[in-house]
Amino acid sequence: MVSRPAKGSGDNSPDRIFAEVPTVAVIGCGVVGRRVARQLTASGLVDRLILGARRPQRLHGFVRQLIDIDVDVIAPGPLPAAEITVLTQPSGGHAELAEEALGNGSHVVSISDAVGDVQGLLDLDAVATKAERAVIVGAAFSPGMSCLLARHCGQRFDHVEEVHVARMGTGGPACQRQLHRARTKDAVEWRNGDWVKRSGGTGRELVWFPDPLGARDCYRARLPEPLLLAASFPETDRITAKVSATRRDRFTAWLPMLRRPHNDGGPGAIRVEIRGVLNGDQITDVIGAIDYPSAVAGALASISAEWLLQEALPHGAWSLGMLDDPVPWLQELEMRGITAAVYEGISAT
Amino acid sequence: MKTLRRAILAMGVGTLVAAILRLRGSGGVPPRQGKWRQLTGPDFR
Repeated sequence: MVSRPAKGSGDNSPDRIFAEVPTVAVIGCGVVGRRVARQLTASGLVDRLILGARRPQRLHGFVRQLIDIDVDVIAPGPLPAAEITVLTQPSGGHAELAEEALGNGSHVVSISDAVGDVQGLLDLDAVATKAERAVIVGAAFSPGMSCLLARHCGQRFDHVEEVHVARMGTGGPACQRQLHRARTKDAVEWRNGDWVKRSGGTGRELVWFPDPLGARDCYRARLPEPLLLAASFPETDRITAKVSATRRDRFTAWLPMLRRPHNDGGPGAIRVEIRGVLNGDQITDVIGAIDYPSAVAGALASISAEWLLQEALPHGAWSLGMLDDPVPWLQELEMRGITAAVYEGISAT
Repeated sequence: MKTLRRAILAMGVGTLVAAILRLRGSGGVPPRQGKWRQLTGPDFR
């Protein structure tokens, strides 16, 4: 699978940019949606931005910040015609919206971390391939950067046996609500070539995230990484995903959210541990990242949209963990100030 | 009435024990060796 536009490909010349009026629709203008809108505006690749919001009147101040670009704000309803549709709305219903966007001839970028959305979006592969459009699934922090790191780290192994993803932190309020729901639902794990369900909130493990966040107890939850990584690591024995939780999180997980979520739940972190065989030795590699989840989600969704505008990303429904080469994405993230880290000193056993 | 009180008491005690079991302890020990190193451009080439 192609991983990024080759230099000079995609007809990204100034003539094209100013002649065809590239339009991107950002559906959902919460914390992440606004970051995507800002980055797309700054990219200079987009001439027209359509922002979908539940309360369009609240976006007047934000729209004034976006200069040198035509901005339309629309209320919920039929999706607008656009080259790219970026779904940054709360989880739930992303697959249905993606199908509608594909019907409009639009590429789709989704940041949803709900298992139902992810499965529904992956199921659109045949439709997207037939329409010669791309559906990028989980272009966020987790999933998204977690998948890129797993793919990058797993490439050096002769055989990957286990992939374990852990995360902490959330983006905006919708992300926090989704995680609150996910904590009590069954986790889906890949074990010995089959899917198994394990109870959410079980499987406590002390996970060492990149400094300064450090150690956090993590537990199973209904997270989508195993679904997205199984395609990249089909011969793996185990793929799991866990999320950090405090005692209060666990005690109140079965209740409705007792207080209003923060505007931004960062900073957050991800940690990917890969166990496998390299040159006949049993090896464990750990790679991770620390940043504001909303910032990383905004950057990855924006990069996806920009590279889709250059028409050099593959068609079909896929996640960032399914790319042949994640390095260009990690390099682009580094250029935008988002770096990864590797844990050194634990490897061979 | 007496049965109801006993049932409520039993449920309360059960909930308390379950909460303690669920929330106590820690998930392991921190690593005693190694450290995080930030990846830079050369690591991606």
